[in-house]
Amino acid sequence: MAKLIEASDSGIGNREAIPPTPDSQFPIPDRRSPTPDPKPPTKVIKFSHTSKRFTLHHERPRSFQEMVVNVFGLRNPSKRGVAMPRPAKEEFWAVRDVNFSIYAGEAVGIIGENGSGKSTTLKLISRIIEPTSGGVSVRGKVSALLELGTGFHPDLTGRENIFLNGSLLGISRKEMAQRYEDIVEFAEMGEFIDTPIKHYSSGMVMRLGFAVAINVDPDILLTDEVLAVGDEAFQRKCLEYIAGLRRRGVTIIFVSHALDAVRGLCNRVIWLDHGRVVADGPSGEVIDRYLTYENERHAHRLRTAQRGGGSQEGSVARPTPVDTSGKNSGDDEPVGALRGQAPAHEVIAPGTRWTTGDVTLTGVTFLDGRGEETTLAHTGAPFTIRIHYAAHQKLEGPVFGLALFTENGTHLNGPNTRFAGLEIPSIEGKGYVDYTVDELPLLAGRYDVTVAVTGPDMADMYDHQHRAYSFVVQPTPGLAERWGLLHMPAHWSFHPNRESGVKNREESDYSPQLPIPDSRFPTPDS
Amino acid sequence: MLARARQSVNYKDLLYNLVVRDLKVRYKHSALGFFWSLLNPLLLMAVFTFVFTALLPGDKAKPAFHIFFLCALLPWNWCATSTMGTLQSIVGNGHLIKKVYFPREMLPVSVVLSNMINYLLSLPALFFFMLLFRTDSLGSPFLASCNNVCVNQHLIWLPILIVTQAIFLMGLGFLLAALNVFFRDTSVLVEVGLSAWFFLTPIIYDAKAVAGQYANLMYYLNPMASIIANYRDIFYYNSSLSPDPWFILRTLIECTILFIAGYLFFMRVSGSFGEEV
Repeated sequence: MAKLIEASDSGIGNREAIPPTPDSQFPIPDRRSPTPDPKPPTKVIKFSHTSKRFTLHHERPRSFQEMVVNVFGLRNPSKRGVAMPRPAKEEFWAVRDVNFSIYAGEAVGIIGENGSGKSTTLKLISRIIEPTSGGVSVRGKVSALLELGTGFHPDLTGRENIFLNGSLLGISRKEMAQRYEDIVEFAEMGEFIDTPIKHYSSGMVMRLGFAVAINVDPDILLTDEVLAVGDEAFQRKCLEYIAGLRRRGVTIIFVSHALDAVRGLCNRVIWLDHGRVVADGPSGEVIDRYLTYENERHAHRLRTAQRGGGSQEGSVARPTPVDTSGKNSGDDEPVGALRGQAPAHEVIAPGTRWTTGDVTLTGVTFLDGRGEETTLAHTGAPFTIRIHYAAHQKLEGPVFGLALFTENGTHLNGPNTRFAGLEIPSIEGKGYVDYTVDELPLLAGRYDVTVAVTGPDMADMYDHQHRAYSFVVQPTPGLAERWGLLHMPAHWSFHPNRESGVKNREESDYSPQLPIPDSRFPTPDS
Repeated sequence: MLARARQSVNYKDLLYNLVVRDLKVRYKHSALGFFWSLLNPLLLMAVFTFVFTALLPGDKAKPAFHIFFLCALLPWNWCATSTMGTLQSIVGNGHLIKKVYFPREMLPVSVVLSNMINYLLSLPALFFFMLLFRTDSLGSPFLASCNNVCVNQHLIWLPILIVTQAIFLMGLGFLLAALNVFFRDTSVLVEVGLSAWFFLTPIIYDAKAVAGQYANLMYYLNPMASIIANYRDIFYYNSSLSPDPWFILRTLIECTILFIAGYLFFMRVSGSFGEEV
């Protein structure tokens, strides 16, 4: 298994170089249904005009009478008003007229915002809920990693729970007995297996739950953000195992907000929005489209928010934090944030702004290598962040700075003009400052930008806009690297039939046989 | 429906595991384990026997009242515990229903079966009293009726009675479990209803003593009355009169009809358990 994982993690195989047919994106030799197979692949999941409507009961004012009438389908619309005044219900369509087919061996990511119908789709596949209209057909054994450790009983031992959980997934006791050893080993349970689950740590419960779910030999594996819990080592182990299942030909449906993970694992992505399919295709393309769309929406929202804040700001003359959350310590934090030390006691919401009103940062534009405005950057290409300002009075020695964040808030850097040795004598009126990267090292994804301008001592916060702008980096054709955040300028080299490493180690390593100068501790030889 | 039934067969190990889970969890924490579940009926038996033989020693006092009572109380306890259990079986396992697909009917069925095992385990206590009474009561005032209570060939009807009661409890359990998902007040109503049901079922009195116009009504509306009357025929009246096969058959048919109705209702609504629980 270790060998297989290596192959996937090192990113061997250039996605862009291979024609984007879903089945050939990952050149995996031991798939059950490889592309050259003349047989058409088996359809394992089919949604045809599938819709699911949920009714929101605000208070559940329901009666036996209504129940009986509903169940036996006796409700007569003409009499309904007379029979009983029905409470107003709010209905919404979690999934609306969705069509897709998933073939054996595919790894399909489902992405979309919260409430877009991802989880509902998974529940429809796993038959936990039934569609309101349309059809869902599923062929094969489905194992759902919807919540690890579901069905464990705290009073039963690990062993008893393994069998109980296996039978919940439809596995016979005999089959479970054959897999028992594997499960215990994968979950790293050891002697705890005969201890009641209630004495386990939450990590152990999760490991056990995962081990059972994947060891039932599913034909279709459904996962819904399970990997968002647990420590990183466990998440990695799970992801690696899922990748291994995928290579064995198991169909995988992967719902996640972690787009990197989706990109890495899935060859196909379905993008849902408000219960409808927006896009369905090769994962790279769909995720990039999604990111672009999200970015535009995000920018639009921020612009709207800023317009609202800007009108207020005009009437406020004295230095006041625009956002109340920064009121108590408004002067210190922005500097800290600019230097890359996010205040420990609170998370600053994106779009938060502090200003004294002396200078206004009027906007940020992004430029590509040709100097044209864009919100799309490319890995390895030149990229410029242009900060526009309007100084309302003459100010000596201002410092302009910015900070880059990933979409989920990891702080990447925090350069400013002072660090770079660019001294600005004074500013007055309008102008802009450029921050140019010759070869953008960021990999595909969305990034947020904080911009700020301070006084000469970097303490007076003239204007600070926290994560108020964002841009999207798209993969560059010809550049295959795509794991993690960064593409570092580096090169590989290959040296067969040489063991230079061994020699070097002998020379440099500390040797315990060196004579000890202190005679109070004589060596046994002396 | 046939496909559903076949699928249920594939999940028979789930049923086994659920029953085992029920029993294990129930008896895991007490040293005496199962014997506690016997304490309650035996105590009740002692109290009722004292009341009906010592406090109210009328002509109508049943000879060997403790067996008269115990052979009805034990199946009643099975009925009461499994009714309360099936009622909560879907709602109480909401975390499972919402996360995993499996045939939902397994839950109420497993409750009935684990309580049935409990009942079967309590039967030796009943046999013990039946045998004890026969040897100890020689020369007692109950000598004449001593032959009433003994272990004999009529016990071959016992498995059929147990199956009948299991079918009845499952049918009722399907109805109540499903109703409770949609109307949580079902459980309150059932709790109240159970104590009324106890007195409307011939447990502390004899079904044969019920006034004529109500007897048939009782048998038709309350399958438990028929079932308990049957139990009493084979455990208590077993030598003075033989059990009526037609009555047993009628009870079985009635319970089967209820079972099918309950199962169909359950299947009809079980699809929405995942979103309603």
